[in-house]
Amino acid sequence: MRIIISACSVVRDPRATPKPLLQQSSWSSLWHLEAETSEAMSNGSAGSRPPDMTNPGRPRAQESFPEPPLMKAVFTHLSYGILILLGHVCDFLRKLGMKRDPYTEALKNEDLFKMNLDFEMFFTRNIYRRIRDCWNRPIASAPGAYTDLVDRVSDDCNWTFRYTGTKTNCLNLGSYNYLGFAENTGPCADAAYQSTLDYGAGTCSPARELGTLDVHKKLEALVARFVGKPAALVFGMGFATNSMNIPALMGKGDLLISDQLNHASLVTGAKLSGATVRVFKHNNMKSLENVLRRAVTEGQPRRLRAWRKILIVVEGVYSMEGSVCKLAEIVRLKKKYKAYVYLDEAHSIGAMGPTGRGVSEYWGVDPADIDIMMGTFTKSFGAAGGYIAANQDVINYLRGASHSTTYAASVPAPVAQQIITSMTIIMGDDGTKEGEKRVAQLLDNSRYFRQRLTEMNFIVYGNEDSPVVPILLYEPGKVTSFSRELLKKKIAVVVVGFPATSIVEARARICLSASHTRDMLDYALKEINEVGDLLLLKK
Amino acid sequence: MQVMSATAITNPNASWLNTRGMWLGYLTSVAILHFILLSVPLFSTAMAWTLTHVVHNVGMYIMFHHMKGTPYPTGDQGDVRRLTNWEQIDNGHQYTPTRIFLTSVPIFLFFLASFYTFHDRAHVTVNLIALAVGVIPKFPALHKFRLYGINRY
Repeated sequence: MRIIISACSVVRDPRATPKPLLQQSSWSSLWHLEAETSEAMSNGSAGSRPPDMTNPGRPRAQESFPEPPLMKAVFTHLSYGILILLGHVCDFLRKLGMKRDPYTEALKNEDLFKMNLDFEMFFTRNIYRRIRDCWNRPIASAPGAYTDLVDRVSDDCNWTFRYTGTKTNCLNLGSYNYLGFAENTGPCADAAYQSTLDYGAGTCSPARELGTLDVHKKLEALVARFVGKPAALVFGMGFATNSMNIPALMGKGDLLISDQLNHASLVTGAKLSGATVRVFKHNNMKSLENVLRRAVTEGQPRRLRAWRKILIVVEGVYSMEGSVCKLAEIVRLKKKYKAYVYLDEAHSIGAMGPTGRGVSEYWGVDPADIDIMMGTFTKSFGAAGGYIAANQDVINYLRGASHSTTYAASVPAPVAQQIITSMTIIMGDDGTKEGEKRVAQLLDNSRYFRQRLTEMNFIVYGNEDSPVVPILLYEPGKVTSFSRELLKKKIAVVVVGFPATSIVEARARICLSASHTRDMLDYALKEINEVGDLLLLKK
Repeated sequence: MQVMSATAITNPNASWLNTRGMWLGYLTSVAILHFILLSVPLFSTAMAWTLTHVVHNVGMYIMFHHMKGTPYPTGDQGDVRRLTNWEQIDNGHQYTPTRIFLTSVPIFLFFLASFYTFHDRAHVTVNLIALAVGVIPKFPALHKFRLYGINRY
């Protein structure tokens, strides 16, 4: 088989990364940029790790992405095979008229217009629908450490839900509440309330027209100071911060090198920009260097001229994997090949680093080395929106050229006030040690939880310091049972399966928070341990 | 399973066949099919082998070369709606390990079936037709090919 593979490797896609001829042929070759993420990650993170020149004394946190055990992977495939077979049988019986359910009843209604193709909704209808009580659970309180879940039952196999009228107070392990600011009491809530009385609910105008208030100026100055850059710009929506500003920065003739597992907002921005996009394997610095080398030596595809500029787009913490980008190495490569770096800190701002300043502080990288730092206020600040921080020139340009500042409404004043108050607390400028305490509590929680889970022999992905802890579940039945069993024990977790993740890597993604105490985590760990024994989730 | 989610992988159909355990799972399914057919008392061993080969190739044709699009909504706004599963593998790149594996399974089954049927003329004819059904649609030259517009929409 290897002979065939190497003989066929002469047929190459020019857009893919090159493979050195004498390298051992692994299945994760140039065609598998979208697949085999765990294998790519284990190739990248194991093995040679360059020394951390910026901070030699720091102990290096371990990052691991063990490949799925073969038997579990095979059984996962067989499970999906059986589910799909049964789904086709159900569809067949529906066609014959022998199976009646709300779907067939809806089809009989001549007035209803079919919005979706039958086959495209196969998965939703036959697989997702059966277990959809595990997702989109309505809550009736702020998503803090505990949250009230509205109870619902289904009498017809999850076609419809009926509310029983009661609520369950559950331990919340699923919300992006890293520093615990998702609370509706306290200084942030009071300040936001006052701001609503002063400014109203929204600005109803883009930033370039009437939408820039004094709170925005204050917020931008504060964000710039927090992140360590000369200037910053804030936007009303985190997704739009990426998708509207990358097109303003990049254009035709530019090269955008993006990590394999970048978020959809970055991919949307990249596609909209018109630049050439190349992908490197997730967190794999050798792959990034290969792509850079090839780009710099070959130039643009047909004209063979130099690229106008090269931008490396990475995220600080990848929320589905729990991995942390190797920022020190990326900055070294960027300086060597004269590229620029765009760092998306959606999940890492406030959550990583000794004082919560993000992955640049975590790795000890000077923020001046990162050309554009982007982040969102949704996760650690209990608000909404995003920011971009860079040099004054870049920010001046973006103020005029960004789609968001021209067409989208700016950040509402109460939200801006919430961010200002929470950021002040995190920085310690309010005079208390609250911010310091929260950041330290989050790091302690992350490390403790992950360590205990690994001791219990669960398969856990990610970096030891990251607050996102994915527990691998693999089979679709286990995904469902895990969620339901924990709900019975009053713990709310988020589980993710195919097609959002790879087919063999369905997982439960636990997001830790500074508002979780040790007791809460111990309770959660005890219950997860029992469920793990029940469902045979351990190694 | 979030059916709609914000990821960069717009079409999971392109990569799910490359995942760990797929090849072993596929061969296991073929083996299970074969054992089911072998346990039917009506069929001789030779018949069971030919039937395995034929059923496998027909099933493969329906799954990979007839059904188009994806059983879930994709993030690429329906780019692959007219493409069969085979054409979607690895986003259309040819000669990838998955495609080579899936092409070689019908060929391998053909050898086994011919052997176990003692190269009997009738069986070999049926097996050859099944082989054609199994392998010809996979030729790279026939990528996105529709004969007389059959199965185009």
